[in-house]
Amino acid sequence: MTVLTSARGLAAALLLASAAPALAAGAHGGHGASPAGMAGGTPARTVEIVLDDTFYEPESVDVAPGETIRFRIRNAGALAHEFGIGTMAMHEAHQAEMQMLADHGVLKPTGMDMAAAKAMQASMGHGMHDMSNTVLVAPGKTAELVWTFPAHMGEPVEFACGVPGHAGAGMVGMFHAPGH
Amino acid sequence: MSFNATLRALALAPVLGLPAATAFAGDYALTIDPVRVETADFSRMGVGFNGSTEPTVLRFQEGEEVTIRVTNNLSEQSSVHWHGIILPPDQDGVPGISFPGIKPGETFTYRFPIEQAGTYWFHSHSHFQEPDGAYGAIVIEPTTREPYRYDRDYVVQVADAHPHRGERIWRNLKASPDYYNREQRTLMDLLSDASEKGLGTALADRAAWGDMRMMPTDVEDVQGFTPVLNGKDTAGNWTGVFEPGQRVRLRLINSSAMTFFDVRIPGLKMTVVAADGLDVQPVTVDELRLAVAETYDVIVRPTRAEAYPILFESMGRTAMVRGTLAPEGQVGAAPEVPPLRPSPLLTMADMGMMHGMDHGDMVHGNMGGGDMGGGSMAGMDHAGHVMPDGSTMAGAAHDENASSAAEKAMGDMTDGMAAGGGAGHVMPDGSTMAGDAHAGHAMPAGGHVMPDGTTMAGAAHASDPFYAPGSGLTPTAADGGKFLSYADLKAAAPLFPDREATREVELRLTGNMERYIWSINGVKYEDAPPLRLQYGERVRFKFVNETMMTHPMHLHGMWTILDTGSGQYDPIKHTVSIAPGTTVYTETEVDAPGEWAFHCHLSYHMAGGMFRKVIVEGGPRASAAPAAPAHSHSHGG
Repeated sequence: MTVLTSARGLAAALLLASAAPALAAGAHGGHGASPAGMAGGTPARTVEIVLDDTFYEPESVDVAPGETIRFRIRNAGALAHEFGIGTMAMHEAHQAEMQMLADHGVLKPTGMDMAAAKAMQASMGHGMHDMSNTVLVAPGKTAELVWTFPAHMGEPVEFACGVPGHAGAGMVGMFHAPGH
Repeated sequence: MSFNATLRALALAPVLGLPAATAFAGDYALTIDPVRVETADFSRMGVGFNGSTEPTVLRFQEGEEVTIRVTNNLSEQSSVHWHGIILPPDQDGVPGISFPGIKPGETFTYRFPIEQAGTYWFHSHSHFQEPDGAYGAIVIEPTTREPYRYDRDYVVQVADAHPHRGERIWRNLKASPDYYNREQRTLMDLLSDASEKGLGTALADRAAWGDMRMMPTDVEDVQGFTPVLNGKDTAGNWTGVFEPGQRVRLRLINSSAMTFFDVRIPGLKMTVVAADGLDVQPVTVDELRLAVAETYDVIVRPTRAEAYPILFESMGRTAMVRGTLAPEGQVGAAPEVPPLRPSPLLTMADMGMMHGMDHGDMVHGNMGGGDMGGGSMAGMDHAGHVMPDGSTMAGAAHDENASSAAEKAMGDMTDGMAAGGGAGHVMPDGSTMAGDAHAGHAMPAGGHVMPDGTTMAGAAHASDPFYAPGSGLTPTAADGGKFLSYADLKAAAPLFPDREATREVELRLTGNMERYIWSINGVKYEDAPPLRLQYGERVRFKFVNETMMTHPMHLHGMWTILDTGSGQYDPIKHTVSIAPGTTVYTETEVDAPGEWAFHCHLSYHMAGGMFRKVIVEGGPRASAAPAAPAHSHSHGG
């Protein structure tokens, strides 16, 4: 298994490229628990997710509250896609960041341009937010994300792609917690 | 008219042949009928398909072999052109080029394979039947899964229904080209300009406009229409139903004779997933401009249980139509219609005085819309501008020396533009910039400048590279946010290998407004030899718009690759809008032998002569193209 381009990797790279002002400021869905759960844990099962242009297969996944799942994510499309777990508000905030990356030429159709990322980091004086709830997968590649869902799923939790336009075109899936 | 209802049902429910593994056949019938067009503003006779003013929707499958029997119930010759469909030349439906047309009372049988998917439309290509209402929609389901998700699917087809029939409009325009321009500048406007710009500048502006035989208000040369969505005006309130959280696909089609529409749904963002039928990499916007004959497919996701207005506001801000997206249970809701925005005024930049210059730089460079504040674009703007002393730069339009003069002006005045150019700058919201404003930094509406001085693309809507810098037409989103630009369009799946063009053909879009003559390279259709292309070549068209109007150029039979600087991802279209004072490049893989039409899709510009016959020479013989259809009419002429 190869974990290739990931948004977490990008965040790390951007931090290395600068004097690293703390990234905690806007962190959402980061190392701490979010309304959608948190990264890490000991998975009891693996769920396969296929990313394609521009949709997910499957488009919904049943989960049990508090469950930890290993997501094995394969990009079968020709464009870069994300698999991100969060509430609608978390996704919207992240999509705004991804739009900024696209505007600065960092996010290309097939992945991140690291040189452009460093240039943006230098000009803007701050790096990306931590996005441990999200992986960006290049075409033809596979990645993994281990995620623990909250014991009480009060808000709807969705998976979505933060590449500009992709969620709007339908690249959003639902986690269903039966009984919740 | 029960027989018409039957035929319509037939058209909507094709009789399927035996579906083979990869292809099947469908039979369809259309009638072209006299119909009464009724709006809140007028009632007149017009033309409709299947006896209705509500556009007929033909639903095909990719891979299908369609047979369409078209019966002409009018008292004059008629025809149907399948706009954007790639098909054999004798099925294209242009009288005088593809076939002789369909005589009154006769039936013509079209037969062609469907080798594409997406949203297209059809219309009469005879007389002024299309402005009179002879248009419908085509929806083609793909053989493979579409690269997007939606729960509801609606065609939303807009048109500019006019109280006068097309023939009458045409006669009036030929007699008096400003007959339908209600936005004429008055003495009061001149006095107002004089108080803002100084009398000398205001008078110089007037003189320059007079030389062009145009006016700053020439955004729409046929006003006074009532826009309709799917045949319904605002009172008729076309409504699409949804459940909160559902995704709704809207297939936006502009079947207007003359009118561009800016489309928005306040409260919802629209994700554009297809342009002119073909999938694009999705881009989310707040508003978009739908040129005449273009289509865009957008997906919206209303999450609240409330009715949302769908607003189509004309580019000249003379008319608007509202439809509605309503949740189940709220059908009949009629959301408030906001007031029209102020009418844009064309600026000197739209005047096309800069054609000695290479606008290619503008179109190709910095497509991301990054650097707006800088000098180059603003500086170019100066070429056509009033100088600080009130004089105008002489004759740039047709002067061989214009280029160097303009470049000199650029060099000298890059940073001094506010002094002279500010006076001439009219912002898209209709206000005039103060004399000391710097063009690059006085953009209306939101968006922020990054610390490194670049502007975020989201803020760049007032600097769309497909409008002349300083153009009065450059759109901004009504409620803030992003307005779609051609520069945002990227093909999802390129149809052709990315290769160098084999030759370039320059097409200057020209006209004489005083006589309502429209032309290409100064020659109108009747006087022009056909444009000959060779099968197998890749032609690069250089469109130079020397008029002050926007021309949606439509090539039949072959795709048009719009050069946005995206290389292999350049979007592929059937209609490309060329704004005043701009140069736009497109490329076409010449892969369809035979004779085709190539024209401005504004009905009265087409009639006025902005039209060419294209002959593709060589390649497989056109006559050897798929099975000649059974013509059930006689070939009389």
